[in-house]
Amino acid sequence: MSTADDVACASALVQLQGMTPVRLARLLDGFRPGMAWRAVAAGAHPADRRHRFTAEARGVDPSEVARRYVAAGIDVLLPDRPGYPAALVGDPGAPAVLCASGDPSVLEARPAVAVVGTRSATRYGVRVASDLGRGLAEAGVVVVSGLALGIDAAAHAGALAAGPDAAPPVAVVGTGLDVVYPEQHRLLWERVVSVGAVLSEAALGTPPHPRVFPARNRIIAALSDVVVVVECHGRGGSLHTVEAAARRSIPVCAVPGAVHSPASRGTNGLLVDGCTPVRDVDDVLTALSLARGGPPVRSRDGAGVPTEGHGPEDALGRVERAMWDAVEDTPTPVETVLLRTNLSLAALTEAGLRLTSLGLLVGGAGWWTRA
Amino acid sequence: MIANIPSAVLLGVDGRPVRVEVHVANGLPTFTVVGLPDAAVRESRDRVRAALASSGLPWPRRRITVNLAPSGMRKGGAGLDLPIAVGVLVASGVLDPGAVAGHAFVGELGLDGSLRGVPGVLVLADTLHGLRLVVAEANGVEASLAGGTCLTAPTLADVVARCSGRRPWPAAPEARPAADPPSVGTERAGDLADVRGHRVGRRALEVAATGGHHLLMVGPPGAGKTLLANRLPGILPDLDPDTSRTATRIHSAAGSAGATTTLLRRPPFRAPHHGLSAVAMVGGGSAGLRPGEIGLAHGGTLFLDELGEFPTAVLDALRQPLEDGVVRVSRSQGSSVCPARFLLVAAMNPCPCGEGGVPGACRCSPAARARYARRLSGPLLDRFDITLRIDRPDTMELVGHDAGESTAVVAARVAAARVRSRGRGVRTNAELDARSLDRFAPLDARASALVERHLRSGGLSARGLLRVRRLARTVADLDGAGDTIGAPHVAEALYLRGSRALLLGEEIR
Repeated sequence: MSTADDVACASALVQLQGMTPVRLARLLDGFRPGMAWRAVAAGAHPADRRHRFTAEARGVDPSEVARRYVAAGIDVLLPDRPGYPAALVGDPGAPAVLCASGDPSVLEARPAVAVVGTRSATRYGVRVASDLGRGLAEAGVVVVSGLALGIDAAAHAGALAAGPDAAPPVAVVGTGLDVVYPEQHRLLWERVVSVGAVLSEAALGTPPHPRVFPARNRIIAALSDVVVVVECHGRGGSLHTVEAAARRSIPVCAVPGAVHSPASRGTNGLLVDGCTPVRDVDDVLTALSLARGGPPVRSRDGAGVPTEGHGPEDALGRVERAMWDAVEDTPTPVETVLLRTNLSLAALTEAGLRLTSLGLLVGGAGWWTRA
Repeated sequence: MIANIPSAVLLGVDGRPVRVEVHVANGLPTFTVVGLPDAAVRESRDRVRAALASSGLPWPRRRITVNLAPSGMRKGGAGLDLPIAVGVLVASGVLDPGAVAGHAFVGELGLDGSLRGVPGVLVLADTLHGLRLVVAEANGVEASLAGGTCLTAPTLADVVARCSGRRPWPAAPEARPAADPPSVGTERAGDLADVRGHRVGRRALEVAATGGHHLLMVGPPGAGKTLLANRLPGILPDLDPDTSRTATRIHSAAGSAGATTTLLRRPPFRAPHHGLSAVAMVGGGSAGLRPGEIGLAHGGTLFLDELGEFPTAVLDALRQPLEDGVVRVSRSQGSSVCPARFLLVAAMNPCPCGEGGVPGACRCSPAARARYARRLSGPLLDRFDITLRIDRPDTMELVGHDAGESTAVVAARVAAARVRSRGRGVRTNAELDARSLDRFAPLDARASALVERHLRSGGLSARGLLRVRRLARTVADLDGAGDTIGAPHVAEALYLRGSRALLLGEEIR
């Protein structure tokens, strides 16, 4: 049987109602996709004894399904065909069929690092993720993440901002490749497709469902040489990625956060459990064993932590200075700033507006944080 | 014979005069009431008959017809018992028509002939002004607040005896001197000095109380939102005589306790539970369009705790009264206009888990947060001049700071600032329109620059600007600043106005 036939049958299998990654893997265990398809349609497949798919498969023309994938610009990758990510070959949880928008070959001959974290990230987390994404891309490392809100998006955006010579990012999503989720990331999604690749094991049209994301996380872990968790809560999707990485003996790094910050509870817990702490991209590169010989790609003090005594805050007036000193790097309630400065609310809010317009502070509802 | 007795019934917060006509004629003994009586009035037949028998008064064994004129209007309430009884007595010749001339009667009868009070006597007394009003002893003080002549009696037998001149009427009851107000707000709620921390919250309360700016507090459970709101009535100044009278009338019509002994001097504080119906909120119902919570809050505060839990229909019913200061309730039996000018104070959590607002703290999905935020309509949120984040006080930060000012200190400042508003021809700064703002709240150069920057960056709309200028005027009044508004006042106003998107924990960009 031809490759084209296998690809068509594989995509038709993926599209069957009720197909899950586990069922698909069973159907394709020891069967070529073409054979598996015909066995399912004939009701003779040993992994489909209850003929769950038989009736539907009889009414489907695989080449028709294949044309839909071609029309959507989506490649169907099979483990023993060129294009399938080498990192997944031999993986115990490797997807039997992987769909790809863009160019999945960017993963070849490049190291990959997963940068993941919570959707409800703080400014701090978003900034670290963005810095890491950009730094890693500039160092020629493929940034792998999930295109979710918060940390994922920041990591992708950072990697895309690295310029044309940098390594392109790769996203693994839980929905079908024609279902952009979350909707506000459509532009980001398209930019990742245009330079890198967006991968999914889900059928076209698969909607976002809480079930699909943990499964997606195992692919993120399996594709990567190192997993970096930037911010995560005490429980949540990022810890699925960590678990999947641990099972594959892939090193996990975590970015330390304020011990009071709920968004860093998970990451700080990982550090206590012995994960490698990561401050900047050099730490990640070290973990990747890429910092071999010679000076690191980027020097550490360029990484943006405001160094004491050299910032624009030196030129501030007395009130602004007092306010700047009272506001921390994590969101500080207005109440606390009032108590620390003993200013009136009018004086404080005016200073706050000035510091915000200078770009030194970021204000929210009832809090400020250093930018 | 025919008797014609003046009385009145309630419709909303207004009284409607009613003539009780009683006709006693020969024929089979019957007792009918016509003229659109409701169930309570129809039952009064049985009460009147029993009361007359218990009082040792003869019951005419003839054909009795009672007509309540004007007969096209529905009448409710038990207050017509007494006029019907008096009418029967006059029509059957027990009482001399001359003895009751110039009198009006309002009261409910017990089966033993005792006279009971009814709600809304202050309003009814106003309606029957010019007549000598006979009411139950329980209603005496309230009726005398209206200023007319008021007579009281404990039983129906006493009414008959006093009308026919066999016994003298007692001296008119004295209204308790208004200098001794019950101070509802301050006594129950405790003092502002008990609130530790919450400098921003206290300031917002002060600004809201001074300028009549509606206030929305958003924060996690246990942060102190209710604590703060309960202390708001204490810092509000006393009601002006006009509002005091209107508010007392509304409370009287609603039959709420405490309003009957004196005119309300302290602003009322209403905090309905979120399970209330739209009718309970705006007023209505079958029995005479009883005033709702917003009417009862007239001149004072309406506090809605857990704003997000109120049914959308109930909240949206607030929009028109908030705009007009009155609520119009129309039903088939008539329509009523009830004054409803109140300070709206609301509290809610930022999201279902309650911890949202500060980035990273919330465990709700973005979809759940958006759903929660959608429960409140934009137009309603728009009515809040002050939207504020209230957080749990950080006890560590409070160490070494002295307690805040007491209610008395803040109340004095509020009262002083309100005097300045009155000089501008408005009760509170929230009522200033654009033209008065130009005149009374000009911005200095730095303040203008600040406002311009916000307008240009899209953070402020033209309507938002008006609100900010009103708020800034109030802030400046409280600080004792001159006529010109400075940049700090505008900055504080911008902060107090807040951002709805940020408050409800929407995504930070």
